[in-house]
Amino acid sequence: MYKKGKYQETDRMSDLICENYPMVLVMSRFGIALGFGEKNIGEVCRQNGVHTRTFLTLVNFLTDKIETSVLPIENITSSISLDALMSYLHRAHDYFLNFRLPHLRRKLMNAISDCPEEVVFVIRKFFDEYAAEVNKHMSYEEKTVFPYVRSLLAGKKDGKYNISIFSKRHDQIEMKIVELKNILLMYYPGEGTYILNSVLFDIFATEEDLASHNRVEDYLFVPAILALEKQLH
Amino acid sequence: MTTSLKVMIAEPSVIIRSGLETLLKRLSDYRLQFVEIPTHESLLEALRIHKPDILFINPSWPGYFHLQEWKEEVGCPHMKCIALVYTVMDNQQLRVYDEQIHIFDSLEEIKQKLERLLAQELPTASEEGDSQILSIREKEIVVCVVKGMTNREIADALYLSTHTVITHRRNIARKLQIHSASGLTIYAIVNKLVELSDIQQ
Repeated sequence: MYKKGKYQETDRMSDLICENYPMVLVMSRFGIALGFGEKNIGEVCRQNGVHTRTFLTLVNFLTDKIETSVLPIENITSSISLDALMSYLHRAHDYFLNFRLPHLRRKLMNAISDCPEEVVFVIRKFFDEYAAEVNKHMSYEEKTVFPYVRSLLAGKKDGKYNISIFSKRHDQIEMKIVELKNILLMYYPGEGTYILNSVLFDIFATEEDLASHNRVEDYLFVPAILALEKQLH
Repeated sequence: MTTSLKVMIAEPSVIIRSGLETLLKRLSDYRLQFVEIPTHESLLEALRIHKPDILFINPSWPGYFHLQEWKEEVGCPHMKCIALVYTVMDNQQLRVYDEQIHIFDSLEEIKQKLERLLAQELPTASEEGDSQILSIREKEIVVCVVKGMTNREIADALYLSTHTVITHRRNIARKLQIHSASGLTIYAIVNKLVELSDIQQ
């Protein structure tokens, strides 16, 4: 479905997006808007003040379905700016919490509005508990992990905290939305509607998006921090 | 039912790594997440970070005889180590591995070996078949869980041991593909096992 192989600075931004449409999300999380004309990836990044090599590392990591090997740590540290990556992750959190999940909730509530009152009640409760979990997961990163990394970048080593504490508690937040999908697929009592199908598609997409978000954190973010910790020892 | 597994392939040849990965992806019973390790220097650290459920490893890599100690050291004592054999190897040397697959094994053989390995971990997984229909006892337990009772309380109410309650809950989760209490609540309401008033205390 998608082009395989590595993207480079000189490839056109529009080719990247057309060949791998989920990358439109990555682009906007780096703060790049649409309307980039014929420009190549390097030009668009520079124009928007985006660290080009971080952008390319991320894009190549996410589009590369075949070679999932752990990137050698030297490659990660030499090509990733932790500042740029954190601002990317921060925007992604904002997207999930303030757009994707509320949007999905509205649509879901709309789709099941013909169900009996008690069914609506329990599905809403399930969704709200899930959203609260995602919120907790991401707030922890915002409030604990990011400040820790910023102080590491400033050359200060916190004696108590280290990034393996984070990797230990970092769970797969997409698992529970998989459950919502299963419940709707297998036990939904009402009639199927176009809008319910559309909700299901949104859930599939959200599941994939959350999983790849986690992959970025586990395979790029954490190893880069580990390397920085070692350097400061 | 699909089981989620983290699989690490520690092997220098990209052709073998990718080939094994492609093959394993055809096993529809598992939802697999892959990590590839091309050089043995990065193995220990990668184990520590990723904590895989299964490790496929080239048995000619140095340090193989420490495999069992490594499991403890990196914090994944339940990890299964499978030797990825493509030359003639001394059986003595292969004894430290939990299983071995040979490069000429068929997908069916690999599947059987994996099932055997994982069955040791999950003794109840295939006992009662894949029927999605809950027994009367299981329905009673769903109702209790949905009402917010702990395993202890459920055990006391139904005159069971907590161990039995836990086994039932595991079977329920497997049959319904629902693991959380709030997910079970949806199931219970939709199937009219409980009334809304039962859960709104």
